[in-house]
Amino acid sequence: MIEAQALTRRFGESLAVDSVSLKVPDGAILALLGPNGAGKTTTVRMLAGLLAPTSGAASVSGIDVRANPAGVRARVGLVTDVPGLYERMNVGAYLDFFGSIYGLDPTTRARRIDELLAFFDLKAHQRDRMAGFSKGMKQKVALARALLHEPSALFLDEPTSGLDPLAARAVRELVVNLKHSSRSIILCTHDLDEAERLADEVAIIRQGRIVAADAPAALRAGASPDTLVRIELTAPFPAAQAALGDIDGTSHLALCSEPGAEGSTILEYATPHPRRVNPLVLARLIAAGAQVVSVTCTTRTLEDVYLGVVGGESQPAGEAVGVAVGGSR
Amino acid sequence: MSVPLSTVPTVRAPSGAATLPSDWQTLLLIARRAALEALRDRITLTMSVFFSLVFPLIMVFSVVRPLAGAGSGQDGVLGTVLAIYVLLIGLLPTTAAVGVACGQFAGEKEQGNLAPLLASPASNVAIFGGKVLGAVVPAILFSAVAEIAYLLAVSATIGANKLRLLPPALAIAMLLLVPAVAIFAATVASLISSRVRTFNTAQQISGILLFPLWGILFGVAFKMGAWGAWTLALAVAAVFAIDAVLTVVAAKTWRREEVLAQQ
Repeated sequence: MIEAQALTRRFGESLAVDSVSLKVPDGAILALLGPNGAGKTTTVRMLAGLLAPTSGAASVSGIDVRANPAGVRARVGLVTDVPGLYERMNVGAYLDFFGSIYGLDPTTRARRIDELLAFFDLKAHQRDRMAGFSKGMKQKVALARALLHEPSALFLDEPTSGLDPLAARAVRELVVNLKHSSRSIILCTHDLDEAERLADEVAIIRQGRIVAADAPAALRAGASPDTLVRIELTAPFPAAQAALGDIDGTSHLALCSEPGAEGSTILEYATPHPRRVNPLVLARLIAAGAQVVSVTCTTRTLEDVYLGVVGGESQPAGEAVGVAVGGSR
Repeated sequence: MSVPLSTVPTVRAPSGAATLPSDWQTLLLIARRAALEALRDRITLTMSVFFSLVFPLIMVFSVVRPLAGAGSGQDGVLGTVLAIYVLLIGLLPTTAAVGVACGQFAGEKEQGNLAPLLASPASNVAIFGGKVLGAVVPAILFSAVAEIAYLLAVSATIGANKLRLLPPALAIAMLLLVPAVAIFAATVASLISSRVRTFNTAQQISGILLFPLWGILFGVAFKMGAWGAWTLALAVAAVFAIDAVLTVVAAKTWRREEVLAQQ
């Protein structure tokens, strides 16, 4: 369990993190989203026991980050966007060094290194110096380092950055597996699709404050309940607006021609009730003689929500919001 | 990744933290890695090999040998010069410790590889102490090689019997000053390196601070020939005491968050 209450950090006059409250139970993933400099990394550093908060409280697995930061550091795994390896060392020696620092006995160390190298497909490179590794391989080593001591909480800052699609997918699956094995995970990412797929809850940080937080689907729904419906017709259909104008529950009705598709026309509208409205619209169109090629429904994406929240960088951050993954707020 | 996820070893329930090594054990682990890393660095290695093998020969052939040829009337001067060169020859390879120490904090910070160690349970004292020791040990090893090369070169060029001219107290004092000054230099460089952003800045500031001190030390070394054994012992003990206080204060006051706050 990762918990924070009104966590605040100042660097001189600058307020890097402002009253962040969150709760990530075991077996849950919280994605922290936000522009560069928003305070994600500082928040993670405080929670991982690297940086003392200026005020507020936080604990990881019940250990207070202020009272026992070393105890917290012993129980967390941290992966940053920069792998941060000693590149003149070989992989095996590097992991052995960190295993020793985390107090793993030689037998456990050897077993863990063996397992992780096999998993990350690095066994053949065990004795290679890491200087010649690709970014993806380095990131795998960084992940292996973070998992060596079987941490109860993981802080992953852009863990799939620089990985090829296959490796990125495997890492995502690993993250889900780690979640299912009762780890609390905080994931900082700019990949909104990754956040949506992995996270139980998403928190958007702006100017040091959590300004929006909820399950991805709830955030999308909260931002706009409307579904955007796009109907492609075979030919121009000027009567569409007259035919549909009186249907209750549609807005932003518009007709436009499809670029590149000769003669075809696109009819667009937004509705909060697609299940009721769409059959009615289609029935009207067909009755009026329109020939429908396709119907596409789009709800708001997390990207829309994110851009809506952080879009106005010059705007004040607004009210702080607390996060409680899978719990009450 | 070739291994199916069902075999992923990391899906076990998280274990409690293992029994962490003591500060001293962690310090030695960090020092060992830092020392090995320094020995893998080509520039450090080239510089150290030059100062420990080539430079002693140059000094013996250019200064000691002509002085020895001046006749037995110069034996007293020759003995003092031989002793002072024990300090000079031993000290030059230790300049590598400054470069290594600068790389340990500022260099690693620039490369981004300091963060994993800062994120580990290692204490501030273990990290700082380990890095200082890791910078000092290779430098002292190269100093030892340099001293051996120097004494062998003196024996081969002017005769082993001339080594008897070395004033014992002064020679021992010079020999002991080598590690003492190396520790001082590495600690000062580590202190600076841990508080600045870049390797170059660390090296420049360390150079500005340490080179004048080395100059003063050599100046004093020429006077030390006239000091008695107890005064020499006190002087050496004083340098070691300064080292101990400086290292302890530096290690105790160093905070990992100072490093992170600069990033």
